[in-house]
Parts: sequence; C-alpha cells; structure tokens
Amino acid sequence: MGEKIMTTEELKALKIDKSVDARGTACPGPLLAAKKAIGEIKSGQIMEILSADEGTKKDIPKWAAKQGHDYLGTIEESGFFKIYMKKN
Amino acid sequence: MMKSHIIEFSSENKYLTLKPIIMGKNKKMTMALYSGSIDKLTAAGVILSGAAADDMDVDIYVLLQAARAFKKEIATNKDKLFMAENNELRIEFLNSLKRLNVKEWHEFFKEAKEITNVKIHICGLAGKIWGGEKLDDFIDLADDICGISEYITSAQEADVHLFI
Repeated sequence: MGEKIMTTEELKALKIDKSVDARGTACPGPLLAAKKAIGEIKSGQIMEILSADEGTKKDIPKWAAKQGHDYLGTIEESGFFKIYMKKN
Repeated sequence: MMKSHIIEFSSENKYLTLKPIIMGKNKKMTMALYSGSIDKLTAAGVILSGAAADDMDVDIYVLLQAARAFKKEIATNKDKLFMAENNELRIEFLNSLKRLNVKEWHEFFKEAKEITNVKIHICGLAGKIWGGEKLDDFIDLADDICGISEYITSAQEADVHLFI
C-alpha cells in the first residue's frame, strides 16, 4: 500500500469512479458519506470526496490508511476541497 | 480491523502462497452515557460516528439523565432537553446546529447503528427513575435494559472507554 501522494496534475487526470459531494455537511458528515460510498465501489476504483469542512482534509487520509485504502491527495478549490482515494 | 497474511497450500499448484486476510475482531468502544445534556448527547453522537467509520463495535450504556433523554416522548423534543452547563447558550447552540446542517443527536445514533455494530443498553435503575419500566418506553434505537455488571464487563474488554 503506497502512501505516495499524487501531484495536482495527476489527480486531475484521474478517472473518477465515484464522486461524493459532502459540501453541505459539517464534521462528521463527510467522513460518514465517504464510509457509506466506499461500500459502493470495487477494489481498485477511485473515489473523490468534496468537502467544505477543514477537518475532513486530515480525517480522510487517516481513515483511509486505517481501512487499508490509498489516500491519493487533495486539491484545494475556492471554499472546498477535493479529496482522492483508491479502494483496496 | 487488522490486516494480516495467511500462509496456505493451494491444491492447484504446489507453491506456498501469501494470501491477505482480515483477521481478529473489530476494535471495541464502550461508552457510559450519563448526561442528558443536549450538547453532550450531540458530542457522543459525533464520537460514535467516528467509531462507526472505523468499523468499531460499540456498546453504549445509557445511565441516569441520559436514560431520560432516550425516552420516546423526550428524545425528539428539543424543548425537553437542556444543557448541563451554560444553559443560556442553548438557543445559540441549537441555531448553529441548524445553520451548519448538523443532525439531531438521536439521528447520529441511528446512522451509526446502520453502519456498524452498535448496541444501546438502558440502565434498569435509570429507566425507572424517569418512569421507563419497559424497553418499549424508550426510542427504538435502544436494544435492551441491563444491569451494571454488563457495563463493567464491556468496559474491561474495550479498546476505547468513554464516560460522557
């Protein structure tokens, strides 16, 4: 399981299998949204989580590592983040 | 969950293979929920969500004033729940939750139960103090009415133990 973080260009080029828009919720909303959505994709697929909650930026990488998935990186947009991970 | 490997012989080939398996039990959290304060119930709900995201098994022991909050006619009625500390901040707190689109405290418990193995035990004594004799007097999320020994046993086995 690589902890390699991708560059913004690499992240932008990813083929997204599942996108979760959790911008309308505060912590722990985005984490729970990610938890639910990860069950809907297959191993090897890429998930993108959109969150406007600052804490999610740290939460998702830690949670992904504990669950055995790969955190790929984060892109900062204005007022929200796009967080990328790969299911293992 | 702990990831490990198992060494096994495959019948198709004679080589040793390393096969990843999920082994062992999930981590366990035991929570003694004593407070019926609406902000502390919300905090318990948020912590519970984190445990659910981590697939922990959770035992919640609902004690004293929390048992009142878990009664059917109280749980969903914000007017009947107060804040143990700084009750003058209650309206600000409730308005902020609404603005931030935060779920009500009991909804956190419901969602966590849908995600992971959460058992909610109502203390028998606490129930009686607030007029709740039967499981049916409490919201549907409650699993059983129990005694103190069960809580101690659960706390002894837990990886994380909280008193709120």
